[in-house]
Amino acid sequence: MRMGNRAGVVTAAVVCVLLLFVPQIAPHIHLAISICTEVLLFAMAAMAVNLLVGYTGVLPFGNAAFFGLGAYGAGLTIEYWHVGFFSSIGLGILASLIGALLIGPFLLRRRGIYFALLMIAFGQVFYFIAYRFTDITGGEDGMNFARPAVEWLGWQLKDENFYYAMLAFFFIVGILFLLLVRSPFGRSLVAIKENETRARYLGLNTDRFIFVALLISAAIEGLAGACYGLSIMFAYPLMLDWHNSGNIVLMTILGGSGTVFGPFLGALIFVIGNDILSSAVPWWQIPLGALFVACVLGFPKGILGTVLDFFEKRRGGFGYEARDTLHSTVLSEREIQP
Amino acid sequence: MAHIAPEIFNGLILGAFYAVVAIGLSLIMNLTGTINMAHGSFMTLAGYLAFAMVSAGTNYWFALAVAPILTLIVGVALERTLIRPLYRRDPVYSLLLTFGLSLIAEETYRLVWGDNGVPFSPPASLQNAVSLGFTYFPAYRLFIAGVLLVIIVLLVVFLQRTRIGLRLRAAVQDNEMIAALGTNTQVLYMMNFGLGVLLAGIAGVLAAGLLGLNPQSGNALLMPAFVTVIVGGMGSIFGAVAGGLSIGLTISIVTLYIPAASEIAMYVLMAVILLVRPRGLFGEEGIFG
Repeated sequence: MRMGNRAGVVTAAVVCVLLLFVPQIAPHIHLAISICTEVLLFAMAAMAVNLLVGYTGVLPFGNAAFFGLGAYGAGLTIEYWHVGFFSSIGLGILASLIGALLIGPFLLRRRGIYFALLMIAFGQVFYFIAYRFTDITGGEDGMNFARPAVEWLGWQLKDENFYYAMLAFFFIVGILFLLLVRSPFGRSLVAIKENETRARYLGLNTDRFIFVALLISAAIEGLAGACYGLSIMFAYPLMLDWHNSGNIVLMTILGGSGTVFGPFLGALIFVIGNDILSSAVPWWQIPLGALFVACVLGFPKGILGTVLDFFEKRRGGFGYEARDTLHSTVLSEREIQP
Repeated sequence: MAHIAPEIFNGLILGAFYAVVAIGLSLIMNLTGTINMAHGSFMTLAGYLAFAMVSAGTNYWFALAVAPILTLIVGVALERTLIRPLYRRDPVYSLLLTFGLSLIAEETYRLVWGDNGVPFSPPASLQNAVSLGFTYFPAYRLFIAGVLLVIIVLLVVFLQRTRIGLRLRAAVQDNEMIAALGTNTQVLYMMNFGLGVLLAGIAGVLAAGLLGLNPQSGNALLMPAFVTVIVGGMGSIFGAVAGGLSIGLTISIVTLYIPAASEIAMYVLMAVILLVRPRGLFGEEGIFG
């Protein structure tokens, strides 16, 4: 997304300021602060997915494995090794990275739907590990763990300030993401997305670029997962399940894949909508499924993508980055690997 | 040997289910680039429709024949209206759409038939055990094995020996060329999707009597079917059969010794096969047969 225009910068600044005052605003609009924390964490996860689907052009439908590995990594190390708050997050990220290192080499051999298929299949292995190894992980019931206290130079992280800690992570990840997609590395990823054969003939080792993108994505997702585990003090197998992957991919597409702020918007709508719906009606999966259908058929570029398109058309320029190719190209194994 | 023989046979039957589901998935995936996440929901739908018919008093055989056809009609209707516009777009869209459909389907089954699943048993004529010489075996399982074998043989004949089968195989290779030569590819896509759903439907009714019927029972077979497609190689029927049977066998034998590792064994097998043969056992350039 082009942030050169003033409206974008102003919107981003307003959103950032609003995020700072969420704990003050939320009670007035009957919103639990835990839901706001959840929005931030799923927005991070959606950003990680966006790096792959929106910027690199590979479909990580199985990304929940990294999310769940982060949560379990944090939970298990707190439970069995009694590590501290920040170490548990670090170890959660490490668990995700190990997961990505294990399955990455298998995924990299393929593109298009074959990549997606491999990722769905390999992503699910961690679900079964968490589900079956009941002695260690608590199996289907999940595992409870206590959130370690944070004390740093006499300053303590109280429960009511947990949101701010997550907001700090969110800002750091957001800024790094912005820098990453504008760096030569990020530009190379977009080149791979738009035409991998051409990128390869220009001398890019595309496998290596995709692998690094996968590792970065897994690390962000692991961070989000570890923080989510810490926020609810619980890790459960469904975090690793493909349903969770589907939700995170939907957030990305709903907000606008290939845009920097789309995933946040998608996570905001999805998490809050889901919370309201699931407490209102027992059959909330039906409107949720309908949202998938409506998003795919009605807003294939996502909300932000559609809005940006409108402004681009008015100005008559082509300030596109990555988002315009996704809806119109067909990526097939045959086309990419001649 | 005596205690492991039934397990081997059970594993082969489970594997035949995986193979039939995987062939349906793979037909749809190869021709249209759609990963059908709702495939499991079609199986569950067929199971519930058969259950509803049998509870309404119809004959089991009638339900077994009609429920998959009703499922086929639902599948084709969805393909015409929702999935078809997505064929030329990135696979993420059809994946998300079919995923959304599976969520809607699962909740609908829950509303109509309840959370806990319903009892659906095979007819009395199939409930006795048959002697195989060295061991006794439930007749229903033998019946399933027979039906699935017939289906696979018919499919191979259909794809290899009929003109429609020829066109399907040709369209996988080059759908623009086949359209230019005068085949209506939209109809071809619809028939192909319908065939995949029909296979899911038949497998769904048969599986309901063996593995139980609840809102998620079809989805439980979906993941092994994905693994089967990968192990067997995309687009190969023989691959799907070989992949399905080897996964079924692996699962049943590992379950006998280390129950906790039964699903994980399937992934280990997949990883090993991908290391040795990156395109899967019989995966070539996406050609059927």
